[in-house]
Amino acid sequence: MYDFGIKNPTSVDDVKTALGESDDGQFLAGGQTLIPVLKQRLAMPSDLISLARVDGLSGISAGGDSISVKAMTCHAEVAANADIKSAIPALAKLAGGIGDPHVRNRGTIGGSVANNDPAADYPAAVLGLGATVVTSEREIEADNFFTGMFDTALNEGELITEISFPIPEAAGYIKFPNPATRYALVAVMVAKFGNTVRVAVTGAGPCVFRVAEMEQALTASFSPDSIKDGMVPADDLNNDIHASREYRAHLIGVLARRAVAEANG
Amino acid sequence: MATYVARNGIGENQRRVEDFRFLTGHGHYIDDMKLENQAYGMVLRSPEAHADIKSIDATEALALDGVLLVVTGEDWKAAGYGTIPTKSGVRKFKDGSDLKEPPHHAIAIDRVRYVGQPVALVVAESLDACRDAMELIEVDYESLPAVSHQSEAIKDGAPQIWDDIPNNICLDFELGDEDAQKKAFEDADHVITLELINNRVTATPIEPRGALADYDAESGKFTLWNASQNIHANRDTIADTVLKIGKENLHHIAPDVGGGFGGKNGVYPEPILILHAAREIKRPVKWVNDRSESFLSDTHGRDQVSTVQLALDNDGTFRGLRTETVGNLGAFCGTVGPFTPTGGSSRTQGGPFRFDGIYYTAIAPFTNTCPLDPYRGAGRPEGSYQMDRIIDYAAAKLGMDPIELRRKNLIPPSDLPMKSPMGLDIDCGNFPEVFEKTIEISDRAGFEKRKEASEAKGLKRGFGVCMYLECTGGGPKEEAKVTFRDDGKVELSVGTASTGMGHETVFAQLLSGHLGIAMEDVVFRQSDTDATDIGGGHGGSRGLEVGGSAVTQTSRQIIEVGKKIAAHRFDVDAGEIEFEEGRFHVPGTNHTMTIRDAIDSQNDPDSLPDDLEPGCMNISSVFERGIISIPNGGHACEVEVDPETGTVKVDGYWVVDDFGTIVNKMLADGQVMGGIAQGLGQALMENIHYDESGQLVTGSLMDYALPRADDMPRMVIDYYEDAPTEKNLLGVKGAGEAGCVGAPPAIVNAVCDALKEYGVHHIDMPLTPEKVWQAIRDAKAAG
Repeated sequence: MYDFGIKNPTSVDDVKTALGESDDGQFLAGGQTLIPVLKQRLAMPSDLISLARVDGLSGISAGGDSISVKAMTCHAEVAANADIKSAIPALAKLAGGIGDPHVRNRGTIGGSVANNDPAADYPAAVLGLGATVVTSEREIEADNFFTGMFDTALNEGELITEISFPIPEAAGYIKFPNPATRYALVAVMVAKFGNTVRVAVTGAGPCVFRVAEMEQALTASFSPDSIKDGMVPADDLNNDIHASREYRAHLIGVLARRAVAEANG
Repeated sequence: MATYVARNGIGENQRRVEDFRFLTGHGHYIDDMKLENQAYGMVLRSPEAHADIKSIDATEALALDGVLLVVTGEDWKAAGYGTIPTKSGVRKFKDGSDLKEPPHHAIAIDRVRYVGQPVALVVAESLDACRDAMELIEVDYESLPAVSHQSEAIKDGAPQIWDDIPNNICLDFELGDEDAQKKAFEDADHVITLELINNRVTATPIEPRGALADYDAESGKFTLWNASQNIHANRDTIADTVLKIGKENLHHIAPDVGGGFGGKNGVYPEPILILHAAREIKRPVKWVNDRSESFLSDTHGRDQVSTVQLALDNDGTFRGLRTETVGNLGAFCGTVGPFTPTGGSSRTQGGPFRFDGIYYTAIAPFTNTCPLDPYRGAGRPEGSYQMDRIIDYAAAKLGMDPIELRRKNLIPPSDLPMKSPMGLDIDCGNFPEVFEKTIEISDRAGFEKRKEASEAKGLKRGFGVCMYLECTGGGPKEEAKVTFRDDGKVELSVGTASTGMGHETVFAQLLSGHLGIAMEDVVFRQSDTDATDIGGGHGGSRGLEVGGSAVTQTSRQIIEVGKKIAAHRFDVDAGEIEFEEGRFHVPGTNHTMTIRDAIDSQNDPDSLPDDLEPGCMNISSVFERGIISIPNGGHACEVEVDPETGTVKVDGYWVVDDFGTIVNKMLADGQVMGGIAQGLGQALMENIHYDESGQLVTGSLMDYALPRADDMPRMVIDYYEDAPTEKNLLGVKGAGEAGCVGAPPAIVNAVCDALKEYGVHHIDMPLTPEKVWQAIRDAKAAG
């Protein structure tokens, strides 16, 4: 690590001030990505603005048609939450499959979503469920939030405070883990809301994305058979030592079918 | 805790005494050590696979606060140090000329030849200061063409890694009777050919390599604490051959070592560099690799490309076997590197099967990759993979039953003892019985039902078997020294090296059992050049075979001396004394003396006969093994393959091993399980991947896949104990490597069995989901 300062604000307003007072400050949530990056000297922030002591940034609350998860809520809490398990079991399952117990007890939903790792699980939940990202400045629809590899619609200094998930009629999440890291080599979230269906894919491309063709087919008939091979062209998918783009394209179809089957119970 | 005295030391499931220390964070590893005034070293490693070093400028680095020293190849040249030699047991080309051994200096001089090669050592007051300094060292490289694959390296016109080594070939090799093999091929009804890759892997011990060097300017003596498996031999090389300081001036110690698997056997550059630095700055210097450096610089294993041919008749009788291998050596000769693809891979060719003729030949070229050296099994896993894969492949091609093929060709016990076509002395064993027992415990009868259940889930179930034969290795001599201390403790020093496998338990168990003393009184010492005069360290599954025999031999000598002391007390001939369960007694009398009495008497001249000196029960002896033992066994496994994704799940595993006498079944089980985990890793996911330009692509655990606990199947492990060997005092046949000898072929065979309906009969390791999926797709496309 290079040397850095650390600030411990206790309110969202103080966070802004702390950031303003730093030359090159960076938010520290659960640190599951940032700390390894710092240890490898791949980042050199002047200050870390720790969010650990900020009031009101943690917890889960269920409303009538949505569930809101505060940004600093760790994955283990989401996985174990009774409301989420009964209303959106696919989300609880997704959170329970992130990393290992250490990661799940330190890593946070806000940190994961803000980082937008192409192989992370949460972006698939946020996009697939059509969640709303609530920030210190505004509300951002999932469709407008993920803008590219490790890139989001967040402005400089804008802080995610909570994520609001609408409760679907049915949803399923299937992850095919990378054998080395167990991040998503490919993972698919499928969610059905009345007459609309959302399909979000993570791990396969540079950024989480929706598959319109699958969504249309599933809207017509919410059945695994509606998913045909070749609905996602391989051309723009990731290609690396763990999986070729052709294999990823194939997996998207297989996993989407399985996600639909899971959603249908 | 009740005092535990092992009854005879053999066959008892004594629990591991070292585990409490390891599991509660009380182990004592290199990185736990801190000497007064200690400085820290870090190694600047080459980012280039092959390049000339035009210049190194460390001026800015040296100007940093806290930076004490930067060592480069220029310093090495000036010091006139020697090179790190190879101790390969095979040293001649087929034509009798000498193996080509390029100069292997501890630090790059003028040219780098693999990514990760040490280019500079930075020594500073802190690790952060080292890191800061490393960023400021400017190295001007001029890139050269590189080659990373052995099959490319031997081609005419390939990048030349050493100016005077044509086609990059270090060594070639042959063993067996080529005429007999050719005749067998001519006579046989079929010759089946399979090209296969034994993938490159790395040991990834949980504790990275590291060392701490200290220099005493007054005496001129060095101390090196080193996470090494091979303390005595490496001391000699480091002190006598490389630094030329004289081995008497280097005290070499390994504290607790967190895993080795062969990867900590060799002589490495970094400990040598910090010894040099400690003398330069007259302060202790510690260096510990991080995980990424481990991938770059720990010697790798396997990496062989082979063509295997099996000749057999219509009735399934094996006639001949021919294997041609090209084994990657990396950029330099490892400590025993050239031996692995040559001698090491040749000896067990043919496994436990009968042949009219076997011929093995190999080429061992250099490439622009990290050097290769022993990795658990070092040649025998390659041999068993070739043998057991070609059997299943031939069975598939000829419509035969792979189990029946093995059954038909196993060497019967009536042929033993025998000399194998490759020269192995196979003294005892019962291969057919071990094989049948393996099949029996694997519940073949229930397979069809399980297969149906898998089919119902859309999965393909397959069964695979391997019947391996291997041999032990490593240094043939071992010392065991026993000192009875005044505080009642018994110090047992053995020259073997445990990197976690349980020597502290099993050797104490043996000593306790032989002498009838309490196990908890035994204080175990190992891996210290002051503790024993000689030491063969760890390697070749030698621990119990050679070290355990030394403990047994020393124990017997102690008992003989004890008998003389007892005879003196009871005024009888020593020949009349019997020793049993810790007591000397004269049969037919009530004269008894405990071993503790004898020990207490050994320092009292009045209690000793004239021919014994005080301290006479403190004995050290060296056991020397004449001939290596022949462990063998059967592995069987079931897999479930998801044909849609290519995912392989190993769903059941059964092993019957003939390790001769089983001294401690729990420890043996642990060795087998760990070996299977490594074999499963190699079969399904582990792969060290260099790209064509020599860059390491799998440089971290983000890209190098290791098996985890939930990848492991339930394992049923049993032993065939009716054939103890007479080659050592315990009747044991080394157990340490067998697991990863048997597992890769058993697993790959099972996957190919599962996929036979598609016409998939071979997939090269590792059988990643994509490769399995691709194989099915290709087979379907081919119709």
